[in-house]
Amino acid sequence: MASDLLSIAASGARAARSALDVTAQNIANASSEGYVRRSVRMEEVSSAGGLLRSNDISLSGVRISGIHRNADMFRQAELRRTNSDVTRAEAELRGLQNVESAIEQAGVYPAIVEFEAALQQLTSNPTDSSLRAAAMASADTLARKFNIAAGSLDAVGEGLRFEADAAVGEANIIGSELARVNLRLARAGDGSSDQASLLDQRDALLERLSGIVDISTSFAVDGGVMVSAGGQTFVTGGASGVLSMATLTDGTLAFEINGASITPAGGSLAGSALALTETANTRARLDTLADGIAATVNTVQANGSAIDGTAGQPLFAGTGASGMRLAITSGDALATAPAGAPAGSLDGSNLAALRQALDASGAASGMNNLLFDVSSQVAGRTVTYEALDAIAASARISLEQQAGVDLDTEAANLMRFQQAFQASGRAMQVASDIFNTLMGIGR
Amino acid sequence: MISLSTGAFYGRATRQIGSLRSRADELQQQIGSGERLSRSSDDPVAAARMRMLTRGQRLADVDQRNSDLAQNDLKLTDNALGSIANVIIRAKELAIQAASATLGADQQASIGIEIASLQQSLLFTANSRDGAGHALFGGETSGAAYEMSGGVVSYLGTAGTEPVPLGEGQSVTPSLTGPEVFNFEVGGVPTDLFAVLGTLAAALQGAGDPVAASRDAMTALDTGLEKVTAAQTVVGARLSWIELMDQRREATGELVAAEQADIGGADLATTMTRLQEVMTVLEASQASFVRLSQLSLFSMLR
Repeated sequence: MASDLLSIAASGARAARSALDVTAQNIANASSEGYVRRSVRMEEVSSAGGLLRSNDISLSGVRISGIHRNADMFRQAELRRTNSDVTRAEAELRGLQNVESAIEQAGVYPAIVEFEAALQQLTSNPTDSSLRAAAMASADTLARKFNIAAGSLDAVGEGLRFEADAAVGEANIIGSELARVNLRLARAGDGSSDQASLLDQRDALLERLSGIVDISTSFAVDGGVMVSAGGQTFVTGGASGVLSMATLTDGTLAFEINGASITPAGGSLAGSALALTETANTRARLDTLADGIAATVNTVQANGSAIDGTAGQPLFAGTGASGMRLAITSGDALATAPAGAPAGSLDGSNLAALRQALDASGAASGMNNLLFDVSSQVAGRTVTYEALDAIAASARISLEQQAGVDLDTEAANLMRFQQAFQASGRAMQVASDIFNTLMGIGR
Repeated sequence: MISLSTGAFYGRATRQIGSLRSRADELQQQIGSGERLSRSSDDPVAAARMRMLTRGQRLADVDQRNSDLAQNDLKLTDNALGSIANVIIRAKELAIQAASATLGADQQASIGIEIASLQQSLLFTANSRDGAGHALFGGETSGAAYEMSGGVVSYLGTAGTEPVPLGEGQSVTPSLTGPEVFNFEVGGVPTDLFAVLGTLAAALQGAGDPVAASRDAMTALDTGLEKVTAAQTVVGARLSWIELMDQRREATGELVAAEQADIGGADLATTMTRLQEVMTVLEASQASFVRLSQLSLFSMLR
């Protein structure tokens, strides 16, 4: 069999057209999320020489053997891993920042200082009714600030649980999408453009899933993926599992896949869970602090007598930061005088004892320490987050460098394949000229 | 081959310019507020120290107010002691006159009346009130310090006064109790100024030997004056103690303010310089980004 110049040139023109199409597709998707640059793989078509025709020229042009997707599995896996880390750090940092704002902006610390200052002011004249009223007002403010701080912390926990719940829902949707992509990948032809776009979808879904929970993946020959999270299989073939979330009594979270419990180590779920643990800790410390102040004040009150000479009654009632409230409202009930003092006594020794007890029990320093601990955690997590963010960003850029579209390269390809197309056209022209020459011989 | 995809180029440029912008914004916020810390986590250690300093300052403010009140009360006490001393001196003058045997009974009786009125004015002074309306010489009582019934003046106040805290664990007693001013011993027998004046007035008005009573009273008044002068010295010492603590508080306050500025304040010169630096880098990156993004092969294709 001999060669046919016209069909060789036609196949070259066809191949160049396809390559131009792919180049145009690359340019059009230069900024599409998750798009991996395609390139055309071309193969020469020629037949081996047969019997008695060993030196025959037998060329049949070129054909497109497949569309190549320039994805690097390692860089993609690295992107997923760093993405899990950075979303965890981000969710945790955001939660902790909210915890910090909740207890700092509630102004519990200034309220404690104001209460101390009001008591100290009262020592100058323990029977003055306006100073007593001011001390009671500052005690009321203190209790309310504790209520506000507790309420804000609860709201932070609510928000974190809501976010985690939404993330769990999204993870389940992604899981079923991945199962569907797995099924379609099993039917797609190798090297087809359909397969390439399915693989793009698969990788984009995996990246989104890695932002919610840390996953490990293994890939089948047809491109299908098996996903497991926390040691439990989540997606395998066309089947996806169910991720579920439960809220424990202290407000922290527990996760399960198909009923088996898992502990996410990365992704926004892990970050939310860590932040909720910290919220519960802070809440417990705030309660301890509020109870400590109430107990200190009430004990000293019981040791003294009010302005009318009766025994001192508890100043604070309720338990915990959210339940703290004033048990008495009149400033006259402040037990400034020692027990057994007559009505209207100027003796302020029990007031001095109250101030010393507040100072010694560490009301202000306890709150200061709580604020310090939370804020230094935020500061530490900020450093962690910034480092992880830089790592994740460089992983993304390194993947984009390899898999993304470079417009300059595409411009060069555009020219190259245009020239190839023109050259093939010229070859067809030559074939036509040869034919005409042959036809003109007899004339 | 080092290839840079278009997405990677734009991604990196966005990231760099974005981080420079947020840094510039942060510095601008520091300049605007004058505070280096906008929330505790900016510098947890400094924020915790700032809270302690603010608390100390707040309590020192109250200490200052209490100290001012104590100073006021001590000044009132000092004034009262001054008028008590005047009363004693006047009483002694009268006693000297009455001790002279040349005076007639009528004259002695009229001196006796004046002495009795001096006793009244002494009682009035002893019952004067402090700035808060409490008895100045009554200790911790809520009522009057002294009461006269049947010609006898008796002390109703308590034995001690609660000291007022001045901060740093120091305190001052803002007044004196009645016995600390009026009570003394004559020849081993405890008495007080009211009794001395009462006895003298009664003797001069015909209840005893006016000359002998006047001589006894002169000795007793001398002792009483000494007691009052001693009390004035105590009040003066307490006033200077308060002043000393005031100065100390002022000095500490200045140190605290300096430390607060050090820890939490944004140094304008440094911050401005750093902002300028960041702005220069930002402008340069923006300019180079624009230049680089124009470098597209497509603009060459005609």
